[in-house]
Amino acid sequence: MSNADKHDHHDHDADEPQALPADGDLHGLLAEYDTPGELVEAARKVRDAGFTEFDCYSPFPVHGIDEAMGIKRTILPVLIFGGGFTGLILGLLLQWWTNAFNWPWNISGKPTWSIPANIPIGFETTILLSVFTTFFGMWTLNKLPQVWHPLFRNERFNRVTDDGFFLGIEAKDRRFDAETTTKLLSDAGAIGIDKIHLDPDPAKKVMPKWIFAVIAATTALALIPFAIAAKARNSKSSEPHIHIFADMDFQPKYKSDVAMDEFADSRANRGNIEGTVSRNPASLKADEAFYYGLEDDPTPAPEGAPVATGPAKRWITGFPKAVDADQRLMDRGKQRFEIYCTPCHGYDGRGAGTVPNRVAQGGGLWQAQNLVDPGKKLITIPNGQLFNTISNGAATMPGYAGQIPHRDRWAIVLYVRALQRAQNASLDDVPADQKGSIR
Amino acid sequence: MSHENTLHPDEKYKAGKLGSSLAKAGAGIAVVFLGISLILGSMHPDGHMRRFLYSFVIGWSYIFSISIGMLWLIILHYLVRGRWVTVVRRICEAMAGAFPLIFVAGLVFVIPLLAGYQDLYYWAHPDAANPELNHTMIHKLVWLNPQFFAVRYVIYGVGFSGLASYFRKWSRAQDASGDPAISEKLRIASAPAMILFSVLTCAAAFDILMSMAPKWYSTIYGVNFWGSACVGAFSALALITIGIQRTGRLTRSITPEHYHDIGKWMFSFTFFWAYTGFSQFMLQWYGNMPEETVWYKYRLFGEWQWVSIAMLIGFWAFPFVFLLSRWTKRIVPSLVFFAVWQLVFHWLDLYWNVMPQYDWQTVFHEGQKIVIGPLSGNTAMHHVGFSPIDVTVWLGLIGVFLVGVGRNLTGNLIPVKDPTLGLSLSHENV
Ligand code: HEC
Repeated sequence: MSNADKHDHHDHDADEPQALPADGDLHGLLAEYDTPGELVEAARKVRDAGFTEFDCYSPFPVHGIDEAMGIKRTILPVLIFGGGFTGLILGLLLQWWTNAFNWPWNISGKPTWSIPANIPIGFETTILLSVFTTFFGMWTLNKLPQVWHPLFRNERFNRVTDDGFFLGIEAKDRRFDAETTTKLLSDAGAIGIDKIHLDPDPAKKVMPKWIFAVIAATTALALIPFAIAAKARNSKSSEPHIHIFADMDFQPKYKSDVAMDEFADSRANRGNIEGTVSRNPASLKADEAFYYGLEDDPTPAPEGAPVATGPAKRWITGFPKAVDADQRLMDRGKQRFEIYCTPCHGYDGRGAGTVPNRVAQGGGLWQAQNLVDPGKKLITIPNGQLFNTISNGAATMPGYAGQIPHRDRWAIVLYVRALQRAQNASLDDVPADQKGSIR
Repeated sequence: MSHENTLHPDEKYKAGKLGSSLAKAGAGIAVVFLGISLILGSMHPDGHMRRFLYSFVIGWSYIFSISIGMLWLIILHYLVRGRWVTVVRRICEAMAGAFPLIFVAGLVFVIPLLAGYQDLYYWAHPDAANPELNHTMIHKLVWLNPQFFAVRYVIYGVGFSGLASYFRKWSRAQDASGDPAISEKLRIASAPAMILFSVLTCAAAFDILMSMAPKWYSTIYGVNFWGSACVGAFSALALITIGIQRTGRLTRSITPEHYHDIGKWMFSFTFFWAYTGFSQFMLQWYGNMPEETVWYKYRLFGEWQWVSIAMLIGFWAFPFVFLLSRWTKRIVPSLVFFAVWQLVFHWLDLYWNVMPQYDWQTVFHEGQKIVIGPLSGNTAMHHVGFSPIDVTVWLGLIGVFLVGVGRNLTGNLIPVKDPTLGLSLSHENV
């Protein structure tokens, strides 16, 4: 539909702007157009006539309207770039501060701070601040939200969120003149033109006070959780915890090894039920030598010793029947030792592994035992006890039962024995035919 | 500024001699440069045409990736009922349609493999089956062996050529009949086509590039390859489109708005490549398992680290920061600059993927020489070692690609009766 057709049709409306009753000062003119295309054309004409204080209103974004109105490109992208960049820097700083500065923590001797590990979080914070800048920047640059505007007084303007296309010129524009401007708008094909007046009541010309009150109140409320957290961080309290999810903190169940008065022995652990086979593999491990490094102790208990519940046990000194202490086992032991034990005990078993070294560099002290020191009992302890140390750990050394299968633990025992022997060898250990080659 | 939404009456949209001249030029380039490469290759000290074949795999992957990148765009265009692509879709179709020729070109390395060539892929070497040495990859030889490889190569050839020609054929049919049902038909076909495309692309990347390091593992490899491929493909699309406009064709239909969109894709895939590349790197770096880190070990230490750094800056940081802006994509000379830049780096990316596997170590065991294959030995011994053959083969294969594109540039250069043509012509980026 061309502009000319429209024009004839609506001339009548356009010539007689209607005003609302009980009006204050003139705010400007509001013209309605039938289609987005006509709105764009009208905007172009208004701009060409030299107006600057005008705006277009439509239910959806209209292509080409920015250009027609002579609006410069938004600076939002630049702001977003700045926001994103700030996010990146802050994200990296946060990680550096927590990991390397405020609370450095030695994890397996790894560096406390490492860029690759920080990239994903840096990426997230970049996105976060870019999105925030986009969202809030869009509102701010568009001067939104506007809960009060003189145009809202106009009945016709309600359709702007539905199917109305409007162009409003403000009276404060220096080219504004009620008559000629009306003509300009109607020549541009307006299907209706209204004069918009301010409300005579000055209180209604500004954003209502209660909106500010609501904003201030919500902001204050939003800060309360932070205030509580800050208080809790900086003060001591003898009150019990606050339980937000009480049913999660206090579940109707018993954990293992706790008291339970309902049973005669007051224990929550009930043991195996008659006639069932435990799924716990431990109960199936009949070969005690292989799984625990233990054997029955035939020596009678000394007079007056406390009475043990089961048969007496002692550490085995040799190897369990299930493993052959051969070269294969030795090779395996060397390999496993170098994987699992050297980080702390060092390749030679003297305790100078990379982990203690790093602890020492950081000014700490955490020494793995010297496994080959001739003066220490480790040389003489039974194989079974060594096996047990690997399985369950000792003092500050963690147990490796979870990582190293039983057979490999025996392989390591064999290799540790070999290490002890090799590190404390004397000339007598060298075969007679090779003694000559040693200087 | 609202554009016309019908084809301008004076628009030159017939290909005329364009295609055949392009094909002739391409053939010239191909013959000259591949000829030089053959001579250089036979003189190369490493013997067995080995360097030539490595360069060939890189160059071939290059044109292959550009071609399938455009195929992806065509499928996506139908899948999401895209609009802006319509005006350049014939060009995309021509690029994707080069595939049958690319398939034939690839036989240059597939046939020797079938004939027992051992020095290109380590898995084709008899020592790869040595159970003592390679117990970590022996199970992969069920998949990685010359016969099965060749079978899959044919599947890729048929698959990609079939997809490309299917979309091209019906698009052309629409030029004649103007039947809008054809668009609908292609839209429905595009969903399964996309799935097929993804599977083929990942598998091809695993087979042709990743299996150069047969002991290594990475599941994201195919995706990363596709990212790099699309950077190259969109850059090539920009250049070819600009080139066609230079001949006076399509000057009114393709506007900065369309270049802007091509540039946006270059930008997104530049980032996508870096994103998937980093995902691959970080998980392996963090997990720190030898069978995974080995691939990076030979890229982050020794001479190769400089190439890696160049990739990070050249293929990602620099173009990323500049392509963020709007003007870099809308101003033709600037778009040309970044397209050429990314096309060079896309090649370097493939080079970086393939060449660290070039040095194979050998050991002597009980008097016997055993090849332990790529990614082994001291990192300091691995050299980047650019060779002129790398470049001549690359250029020669670009010539082959241009022949393929030229042969397809016939008839209408615009789908004149496509129902979305109007929307595409008047397309605007807000
Ligand atoms: C995480 C570091 C670490 C690893 C790994 C480690 N150890 Fe230890 N180990 C220690 C420390 C620390 C001690 C000293 C414990 C103490 O006395 O506080 C120790 C002590 C020991 C002892 C002496 C225990 C005792 O009775 O005093 C033995 C034996 C031993 N380690 C063997 C091994 C073997 C075998 C391995 C490999 C399976 C191993 N350790 C792996 C840290 C480690």
